[in-house]
Amino acid sequence: MGLGRGDGGWLALVMAVTVGGCYAGVDQFDPDGGAGADGDDDGDVAEQCREVQTGPTSLRRLTQSQYERTVEDLLGISTDVAQGFAPDERAGAFKSNGVAPVGDLQVEQYMDAAESVATDAASDLASLLPCDPATAGEDACAEQWLRELAPRAYRHPVGEADIARLMAVYSTAKADADFETGIRVTLQGILQSPWFLYHVELGDLSAPAADGEPIALSGYELASRLSYFLWDTMPDPALFDAAAAGELETDEGLQAQVERMLVDPRAKDAIASFHLQWLGVDEIEGLEKTGSLFPNFDTDLALAMKADTASFAHWVLSEGDGRLETLLTGAFTLSEDPALLALYGVERPAGHVSGEPIPLPSDERAGLVTQPSVMAMHAHADQTSPVHRGQLVRENLLCQLLPPPPVDVDNVPPDPDPNATTRERFSEHTANPACEPCHRLIDGLGFGFEHYDALGAYISMEGSLPIDASGEVIGTSDVDGEFTGAVELAGKLSQSVEVSDCMARQWFRYSLGRMDAEGDTCTMDRLSEVFAESGQDVRVLIREIVVSDAFRYRLATEQSP
Amino acid sequence: MISKKKNPRVSRRALLGSMGAAGVLAPFIPMLQRETEAAPGDFPLRIIFLFSANGTLHENWVPSGSENDFTLSEILTPLAPYQDQMIVLDGLEVVREGPGDGHQMGMGLLWTGSRLLEGTEFEGGGDSGTAGWGGGISVDQHIAAAVGNDNPYSSLEFGVQTQGASVWSRMCYAGSNQPIAPEDDPAGMFNRLFADFDVDASELERLKGQRQSVIDLVKDDLDSLMVHHGSADDRLKIDAHLEAIRSIEQRNQAEQPVCEIPVEPGEMDAGANDNFPSISERQTQLMAMSLACDMTRVASMQWSASVSNRRFTWLGIEEGHHDLSHRGDSDPVMVDNITAINVWYAEQVKELMDALAGISEGDGSVLDNTLLVWGNELSRGNSHGNHPVPFVLLGGAGGRLEMGRYLQYDRVPHNRLLVSLCHAMGLTEQQTFGDIDVGSGGLPGLT
Repeated sequence: MGLGRGDGGWLALVMAVTVGGCYAGVDQFDPDGGAGADGDDDGDVAEQCREVQTGPTSLRRLTQSQYERTVEDLLGISTDVAQGFAPDERAGAFKSNGVAPVGDLQVEQYMDAAESVATDAASDLASLLPCDPATAGEDACAEQWLRELAPRAYRHPVGEADIARLMAVYSTAKADADFETGIRVTLQGILQSPWFLYHVELGDLSAPAADGEPIALSGYELASRLSYFLWDTMPDPALFDAAAAGELETDEGLQAQVERMLVDPRAKDAIASFHLQWLGVDEIEGLEKTGSLFPNFDTDLALAMKADTASFAHWVLSEGDGRLETLLTGAFTLSEDPALLALYGVERPAGHVSGEPIPLPSDERAGLVTQPSVMAMHAHADQTSPVHRGQLVRENLLCQLLPPPPVDVDNVPPDPDPNATTRERFSEHTANPACEPCHRLIDGLGFGFEHYDALGAYISMEGSLPIDASGEVIGTSDVDGEFTGAVELAGKLSQSVEVSDCMARQWFRYSLGRMDAEGDTCTMDRLSEVFAESGQDVRVLIREIVVSDAFRYRLATEQSP
Repeated sequence: MISKKKNPRVSRRALLGSMGAAGVLAPFIPMLQRETEAAPGDFPLRIIFLFSANGTLHENWVPSGSENDFTLSEILTPLAPYQDQMIVLDGLEVVREGPGDGHQMGMGLLWTGSRLLEGTEFEGGGDSGTAGWGGGISVDQHIAAAVGNDNPYSSLEFGVQTQGASVWSRMCYAGSNQPIAPEDDPAGMFNRLFADFDVDASELERLKGQRQSVIDLVKDDLDSLMVHHGSADDRLKIDAHLEAIRSIEQRNQAEQPVCEIPVEPGEMDAGANDNFPSISERQTQLMAMSLACDMTRVASMQWSASVSNRRFTWLGIEEGHHDLSHRGDSDPVMVDNITAINVWYAEQVKELMDALAGISEGDGSVLDNTLLVWGNELSRGNSHGNHPVPFVLLGGAGGRLEMGRYLQYDRVPHNRLLVSLCHAMGLTEQQTFGDIDVGSGGLPGLT
C-alpha cells in the first residue's frame, strides 16, 4: 500500500515522522495507523466511500480580504478598513477564522468599520440607491434598495420579517434625523449582521438530518462556498441565479460554474491567495531586511516579489498547462518590475510583449520554491535560513509534521566561527545528538537553497567561500536521495506522489477553510487519485473538489433544545 | 512597509467632527474625582499583566542577597527606583503537560495554567505534531469577571507587534478555545477608548440611539442563528459574539467616565520593526490613562509574542531576538544582546510604573493601587526551558502584598502564583488555578 494514497495517509504521515522521537522511518509505521475509514480490504474502502461522508464544519468569519472584497462587490466602495481588524486566524497555512470566537475587540472593530463604510456609501446616495427618492418616494425607495441589497449582503433569500426589521431601523433613524441617516444606519446594521460577517452554512433545513449525519448545503450556501473559494469574495448575480434555479445541485451545474469562474478576472485573487498563503509569503510587505546589507530592499520590491508569485501561479493555471510540475519547475517570470528583474539577473528581452513569460536561467530557477518571495521570506534579515526553507518544504510541500525541539536538554549550539559559511555553522545542528534526528529532516532540504541569499538573489559565493548546495531528502515515500541545488530538488519534488497528495490536501484545506479530518478520508483519497490521473492538473483538482462530498455537505448537529 | 492605516477614515470620529491630531500624547491631567480626599481603600485596585518573550538569562536576572535585603542584577536594575514596590520570584516552574512545543505551551499556559487543546491548527507541537488553542481561562480574565463588571471594559488587552493570530501569540483567554486578541495599534486603542469623548451631548445622544437600534438588530440576528446551530463550538462562537454585543450595548447606555482625554496618538505603522519602542510608549501612556479613568481594572501589555524575532535595532542589535536567544551560552553575542534586550524590557516596565506613579490618587498614586505581574514564556531561549521562569511582581498592590522582597523557590508550580494573584484581587476563595494544578492555595511565603 502506497504512502498517502488510498490508505488514509493523512494520519499515517503524522505518525511517520513523530513516532518514537523524531523520525521512525517509513517502514516502521502502520500505514493504516489510526485513520478511520480504511481497511486492508480495498472492497471495504470502496463500499464505505459510497456513502456520503464529510468532516466537521464550523462557523467561519470572513477574512480581512474577503471582508474588503465583499464590501467592494456589494456597495461599489473600495476600502482597506479591514486591515485594522485583529489578524486572521489560520487553519494550517490558510486564513479562515474558523476556530476561535470573536471577542469585544473584534466586534467593536466591526462596528467601527460598518460605521465607516456606511458613512462613505451614504455620502453618495445616487450611486448607492437603485431609485430616486425624490420621484419614487423616500420610504418606497429605501424598501426597494433593501429588497435588493439584503439578500446579496446576507447571501441568501431574505424573508418579509427581515425586511420589516430593517425598515424599522431605517424609519427610526430617519425620524431621528433625515433620509440619508436612515439609509446609513440601516447599512451599518446590515454590515454588522452575523449573516454578513460569517459564512453561515446550515444545510438544507427542509431535509433535516440526524446529529452527525451529512446534510446537503443549500444552493445559496454552495454559491457562497464557490465564490469565496474561487474568487475570495461574494457570489455574483449569475451565481445567485444558478443557486435559485437549483443548478448547483448537480455535478454538471457546479462544474459549469467552475469553468466560468476560473476565467473570470476575480479568480486571479483567489489563486494568488492560495499560493501566497501556502508558501507563507502572503504578508511579505511587512518583511524587513538589514539595510546595510540590502539597501535596495523596500516595500515596492517586496510587493513586486509577491506579485511575481501571484502572476506566475495564475499564468500556469490560466495560460499554461495547469500542472504541479510546471508550478514547481517552470523557469520564467511574469514580472516586468525592473528591480525584481535585476534581482533575477535578467532584462526584459527585446520585443517582449507585456504579459508574456520572461525566461529565467534554468540552472538557477525552478518554479515557485526558488522565487525571491519565497527565498526572502524564509530567510533572516541578514542571511539565509536553511532551517526555515527546509521546514517549508517538509511541512507545506510534503505535508509532514515536525516534532518540537527538545526542552531542557543540552541543545545549546557551539560558538560561531566567523570564517565559516552559513552551511557550516548550521551543520552543527546535525553534529549534536539531541538535534540531529529532526534537523537532518529539515536541513538536508534547506541546504539545497544556499544559492539564494536573504533576498532570493542567486549567488555562487558566500564571501570568499564557494556555496555548497548539496543536500539529501530523507523520510519521504518516493523521492529520498541526494541532490545538489534547489533546481534538482524541485525536479524531484515535482515527481513525488507525496508532494502531489500534499498539494491536493492543501487545496482542500484552502477550499473549505479547515483542516482535513477523519471524515474526509474518502474525499482525500478521491482527490489524490483524480489529481494524479490528470498528471497533477490543478484545474482538474479544483473541479473535483467542488463536486466532493466535503464541499457539498456538512455534518448536521442537534438543534438547540 | 504598507501603512496599517485604519481607513480612509470617515469613521466614528468623522461622524462626530474632527478632533485634530497631534504626534505625541500630552501629559496627563489627573482625573477630577481623584483629587478629592479619600481614605485608603476607596480607590480601585487594578492588576496589569506584562509579557516579554524568549526567556531571560537567569544569571543576569536573579538578585543576590536575602528576602528583605537584596541587590538587583543587571537586567532588573532599571527597576531599582521601585525596589520597595517589587517582589522578585525566583524558582517558579510553568508545569507543562499536553500538546504543544516549548514556546506554544510557555505562552498558552503562562496565565491559564491549563493544557493546550488537542487540535490540528498549529503545527510543531508535541507528540501529535500539532496543537490547538489554550484550554482554559487565563487568570486575568478570571479576575476581570469578578472585579471588572462595573467598568466600561472588564479588561483591556494592549499589544506591541504581537504577530498574527496563533497559539504562539495569545496569552489571554476568555475560556477554553477562546483566545483574546490584543489591540496592537495605539490609534485603534485610542479610537476605542476615547473617540466619543469630544462629542457634544445632544449629538452623542443621537449617535447612541442609532447604535442601539443596530445593536438590537444584530442581537436578533445572532439569536436567529443560534436556533439553527447545534454544535457546541458554533454555539460558543455565537454566544461570544452576543456577549461582546451586550458589553458594547452596556457601554453605549452608560454615562461616560469623567476623564481628561489624552491627545490622540498620530498615525504610525504599528507593524514596523523600528517603531517598536514608539508603539510601546504610546500603548503605555494609553494604558495608564485607561486605568486612571477607571475604564478598566484589569489590563495586559504583551510585547511581541513567543518566538519573537524583533530586531532591537534601537539598541544597535540587528539579529532577531529569537535567533539570538538560540546561540550558545558561551557566545558573548548572545549574552550581551539577550541581556540588553531584557534590560530594555525592564525599562519599559519602569516607564509604565512611572506613568502610573505620575497620576495622583488621594495621597498616593495610581501605582500604589496597582499590582503588576511580569512573566515570560520560557526560562531561557536556548533551552526552551520551563524552569525557572522569571516572574516579578510590582506596584503598591493596594497594600495587599508586602513588597520589597526577593523570594526563592525550588520548582514550585506557577499555578500557586496564579492563585495568589486571585487572592490579592479579592478572590479569596480561590484554591487552584488551571487544569494542570495538582496543588492548592497561594504561593507560600508571598502573603
